[in-house]
Parts: sequence; structure tokens; C-alpha cells
Amino acid sequence: MTDFLQLFFSGMATGSIYALAALGFTLLWQASGTINFAQGEFVMLPAFAMVGLIAAGAPLPLAFVLTVVLAIGVLGWAFKRGVVDPLFRHGMMPIVVATIGLSIALSNGVRAGYSAEAHPFAGMFPDRIFNIAGVTITLADCGTLAFALLLVLATQSFLARTVTGRAMQAVAQNTESATVLGINVPRMIFYTFAINAALACAAALLVTPVYLAKFDMGVSLGTKAFFAAVIGGFNNSRGALLGGVIVGVGENLAAAYVSPQYKDAVALALFMVVILFKPQGLLGRKEERKV
Amino acid sequence: MAANMNPQDTPAIEFEDVVAGYKDFMILNNLSFKVRPGSITLLIGPNGAGKSTVLKTLFGLLKPRGGRITLGGVDITAADPKTLLARGIAFVPQGRNLFGQLTVMQNLELGGITLGMKTARERIPEVLDLFPRVRERSNSQASALSGGEQKQLEIGRALLLRPKVLLIDEPSIGLSPLVVQDVFKLLRKLAAGGTTILMVEQNVKSALKISDDAIALESGRLVLHKPASELLADPHIERLFLGGAIETRAA
Repeated sequence: MTDFLQLFFSGMATGSIYALAALGFTLLWQASGTINFAQGEFVMLPAFAMVGLIAAGAPLPLAFVLTVVLAIGVLGWAFKRGVVDPLFRHGMMPIVVATIGLSIALSNGVRAGYSAEAHPFAGMFPDRIFNIAGVTITLADCGTLAFALLLVLATQSFLARTVTGRAMQAVAQNTESATVLGINVPRMIFYTFAINAALACAAALLVTPVYLAKFDMGVSLGTKAFFAAVIGGFNNSRGALLGGVIVGVGENLAAAYVSPQYKDAVALALFMVVILFKPQGLLGRKEERKV
Repeated sequence: MAANMNPQDTPAIEFEDVVAGYKDFMILNNLSFKVRPGSITLLIGPNGAGKSTVLKTLFGLLKPRGGRITLGGVDITAADPKTLLARGIAFVPQGRNLFGQLTVMQNLELGGITLGMKTARERIPEVLDLFPRVRERSNSQASALSGGEQKQLEIGRALLLRPKVLLIDEPSIGLSPLVVQDVFKLLRKLAAGGTTILMVEQNVKSALKISDDAIALESGRLVLHKPASELLADPHIERLFLGGAIETRAA
């Protein structure tokens, strides 16, 4: 039982990182109908930016803040202007294909232009271990879970409680109506891309100390975050959190009780079950779209 | 051409030779008309005549390719929706336009987003006074409202701006006849208060009864502009909105 609880808890910590990336998926989908298959690379690039800034002497908090600013410019603004805006009127598929291409270009670009090695940076939580009723919990897991939860909840309450957040929801729900009310639609969509970029930086900050910054780290992270978003419900940001945690816990338990080789298959298996029996996701709504 | 219009009155809205459309296909072809201040003007015509396009062009959702549009004598031809909202035009488009997952109150607040939240919140009670049913449900999700309540909320959301000109496209779609009458009564009340209303409505006979003037379009051109009462008395009225209308056809 203690093993189970231990695996469950550390799975939640990993799952909360998936949730951050998954939340980005759902936000972009809701606000702009974009599915960004380069989402994993959107975590990998900030990881390398932080590695670089720390190597240049910046302390971790400063490196993180600078990376967020850079990411909002590059992964937020430039991505929207350079990839999404020109393709938007051609429908969703060209954007999907373009982001798959972008993902390949970014990971190989980093491999060729920077390094194929894995680069570490120290985490923001000190190495400490607690023992609660026989269950060993690391401070890093606690901190990761708390930080990710805080960010997900902060994003949600921003969307639900502020006028800007509601205007962003309005744009996601009915763009034409939002235009008619004088809501600045392009700006609201940009905010979504900016939030997605910032969340990706946070995911990079949490994931890199454990899994290291490597050019191909985005592949599995992006895929799992995508599965997590679908499992939870693509049109519900709470679903992203639930999906992330389910994938994180599921793969940890499978690695321990089935076989470590099947770890990465868990997300795919859960994804297929959900698609078959509840295609809108656990917390998602059925959606009708104009064709 | 405008019905009952004193030549020296500044029209609330004026279209002069307006050309507008999509890509190579022009829907409005040198369309000219004037709308009297404080009147309800009904746009009629067959499908594809350009009625909704008039509203979209007027509201800056579609840029005219030619001609001039003025609002109270001021040129607004190239203005965008945000500028037009500030100038006192509000638009209630066809269909469902609410943000279904936000509450009634949040929908109203967003209706006043260009005013700033303080002013918007101050004005919400006066709008809710017009719609007691909507007020009762102000904390419900907008999607939980009945069709009639949703349309009332949409109109209320537009009225938050205290518009001088209200553009409204097919307000009766999907509503029961009783609710339609309520909506029409409200429009009459607004016009009595000085709001100029330009409306597109398929339910032509009922709409003519509350309108002052009617403008008939065909292929994006003006074919008729006269007082609604005259049109209502015309035994050939159906032909006007079914199309192929004005010229007497050889049998």
C-alpha cells in the first residue's frame, strides 16, 4: 500500500507537468481553433533557454523570468503571426501539418545548432525527503505538484474572474459576436498564445531538473500532453488538469506493476479508451462546429 | 426617395452609391438610401438581395468597395466596429450571439466592454428593468435561457451602449409569436425614445406593422422606399419579398 501511495503521489507530480502543457493545448484550441503539435518543443526551447542563461551566469529565477519574456515573444507572438495567422483561413489541417513540421524543425534545429546531449540544471526545490506513515515523498514532487496546481488554478481564475479573461472566453465561444461588441479579438487571441508560452516555460522549469533538457524531450512530453488534453476534454481547462494527472499516475503505476517498458503506452491506451467511449473527454462537452 | 423625409433633415443613416461584397462577387450594387432619425426602417427583399449585407457593411464588418456611408452626416465609410460602437451604432446579428458558458450578467458586462466596466455596471440595472424575465435569471448560464430570453438578453446587451442607431437582423427567428410581439413592442418603445432602428426581418407583415418605413432591395439595388403603412396596404406585397417583384411581369 505504501508503495502504491508513493507511486501515486510522484505520478501526480509528473502528471501536473503534463497538465501545464495540456492546458496550453486546450487554451489554444478554444481561443483560436489551433492544435499545436509543437507543444512539446514549446517546452524544450525554454528548457534550453534556461540552460543557456544559467550557463551565462544568471540565477535560476532571473533565467526563468527572461525565458518567459523571450517565449512570449517567440512562441507567443512570432508563432501566431508567422504560422497560425497566415494559415488560419485555410482551416485547421494546414495548421496541424505546419506545427508537426515546426516540431521536427525545432528539435533538429536544437540538435544541429546547439547540442545533442542532455543538459541538466538544478531544480528550484532542495533535495529533501519526507516520510509520512511509511510513504516517502520528495520535496521536489511536493513543490512541483503545488507549483503546477497553483499555475493551473491561477490561469483558470484569470479566465473566470477578470474582464479580460471573460473577453478571452467570449472570443473562444463566439468570435463574431465578440467583434460586434467591440472586444479586441486579435489581442485576446494573442493573450492566449502568450499564456500558452508562459505555461510551457513553467513546465520546462519543473520538468528539466528531472528529465534534463534534450533536443527530443518535447516528443514524449508533447504527445502525452496531447493525450492528457483529449482524455480530460479538449474544450475544458479543468479537464487538462485531470487528464494530466491521470496520465502521470497511470504510467507510474504501469511501470511498477506491469512493466517499465509499457510506461509510455499507458497514455495511448487511456487515450484510445476515452476516444472510443467518451470522445468529448471526461470533462469535455460535445461541441458542434460550423463547417 | 426616402419616405416622409424633410429635405433639410440630416438623415440618421445615409448610403450613397455603396458597393460591397465578397472577393469578386458584389452584393450591394450602387445602393443609395436614407433613414430618418428615430424611425424603424425595415429592409425587405428576397434571399440574397443584400439585406444582411447592408447591416454588415454599415457596421464595418464588411468594407465597402465604393460609395459613402454617413451617420448623422458624419462619414463612417471606412470605420471599424469599435469606432462605430463609440459613435452610437449597435448591432444585434442574426442567430444566437450569446456567450453560452458565461452568465447573463457576464454577457451584459461584455456588452459594455467599450464603455469601461464602471459605466457598464452602472447601466446594467436600467437594461434589466426592460427585461424582468432576464433579470430573474441574471446569475444563470446564458445557454440555459429560453430562445426568447436569449434574444432579449442580446438586445439588452446592445442597449447597454445607449445606441443612437440599432441594427437588428432577423430578431424573430426561432421565437414564438408571443415573444416576437414582445420584441417588436420593445423596438417600438426604443424608437419612441429616439433610437433609429434598421431591421431585417422575414416576418414581413408583422414587422411592417411596427415599422415607419420600408426599403425593398433586389440584387443589391434599391427597388422601393416608402412608408410601411402604404406597403402594408399594397395587395402585391408578397411579391416584394419573394422576389422578381416590382416590374409587372408579362403573364
